[in-house]
Amino acid sequence: MTLIILANGKTNEVSQRTDANGALWVRLDELRGATGWQMKPEGACLGELCVPLPPDRREDWIADADDWVWFCYSDFADMIGQKHVRDGDVWSLGSVPEVRRAGLESAIAPDFEVTERNGDTLRLSDLRGHKVVLFTWSSW
Amino acid sequence: MAQDSGGPKAVDKWFDRASPTYRCVVDPTHQISSLFGWVNVPSAAWIDEDGRIVRSNEGVYPAETTYRFGIGKVRLGDGAFARATRDWIERGADSEYVWSSRELAERLRPVDDDTLLAEATFKLALHFEATGDSERARRHFAAAEHLAPDNWNYLRQGWTHTGTAYAHLKVLRRTNHLRKNTDKSYYDPTGLPDENYHRFVEPEWLWTPAVWRVKQLLRR
Repeated sequence: MTLIILANGKTNEVSQRTDANGALWVRLDELRGATGWQMKPEGACLGELCVPLPPDRREDWIADADDWVWFCYSDFADMIGQKHVRDGDVWSLGSVPEVRRAGLESAIAPDFEVTERNGDTLRLSDLRGHKVVLFTWSSW
Repeated sequence: MAQDSGGPKAVDKWFDRASPTYRCVVDPTHQISSLFGWVNVPSAAWIDEDGRIVRSNEGVYPAETTYRFGIGKVRLGDGAFARATRDWIERGADSEYVWSSRELAERLRPVDDDTLLAEATFKLALHFEATGDSERARRHFAAAEHLAPDNWNYLRQGWTHTGTAYAHLKVLRRTNHLRKNTDKSYYDPTGLPDENYHRFVEPEWLWTPAVWRVKQLLRR
């Protein structure tokens, strides 16, 4: 059984814990690909941002099941204020508030990776050293 | 950057017609507008050599633009933003159009919980639109609209799911409602000193003499 997680502009299909009870559990080995976060000794980390897990919740949030180790991502998201919406087996994750706040304070343009029309991958951070005019439009 | 859930199929003809010499991407999930906090198109940011945002505006038409909008026409944009952009490219940080630290702090504000929830909800709608589940797409588009009623990207992309003509009609009705009943404008002012056009979406057909005459007669 699988779940769909929508995060960071990407659609990720991940394993589904059989006894999830309405929460979003993500296998630790699939966590980074699906959400951007990874587990480190200092806590859950997204790039340079690391959030320690509350000691009293660690055993609740990291659990063995179905022969794998799982992380209760929805509870973690609630703790950091990341909004999430679910419809059936599809979960959509909003922006991480702390990442947005840090970006606003520094005014550093948030990095992103997209595919150009010619198939090349474009990362905004690859354009450091140049002036960039980023311009959006739409057909609607 | 074309922001359109229809993907390349929806936008390629516009790119081809423009014969661009710049880098072009399609963003079907509105990822970049989410990151930059943009709620309308066209929007733009200037990013300096160190990766810092030094200006970010919406309603930034590169030239005077007249746009057929359903049954009417709207006048959008003059060349103010293009002139300012050229100045920044030539003069960099010395350009008078670069935002100060205070302006940046005022303009790049944190978003509230409803805005963050609307973002997740809108992405869910886009997913169901892409997978052909129209009923669930409509439901989540409507929820996003409820949570973020000033986000024109969400509104117009969601309305376009029902149909282009429907979306145009909704835009006309909503902008007319805003013009008559609120002090909100379709685009936030850019704050450029030589910005001199009427920024509200205002269908010309409402103001033609013939229509004005008919409206006068109907009022009697």
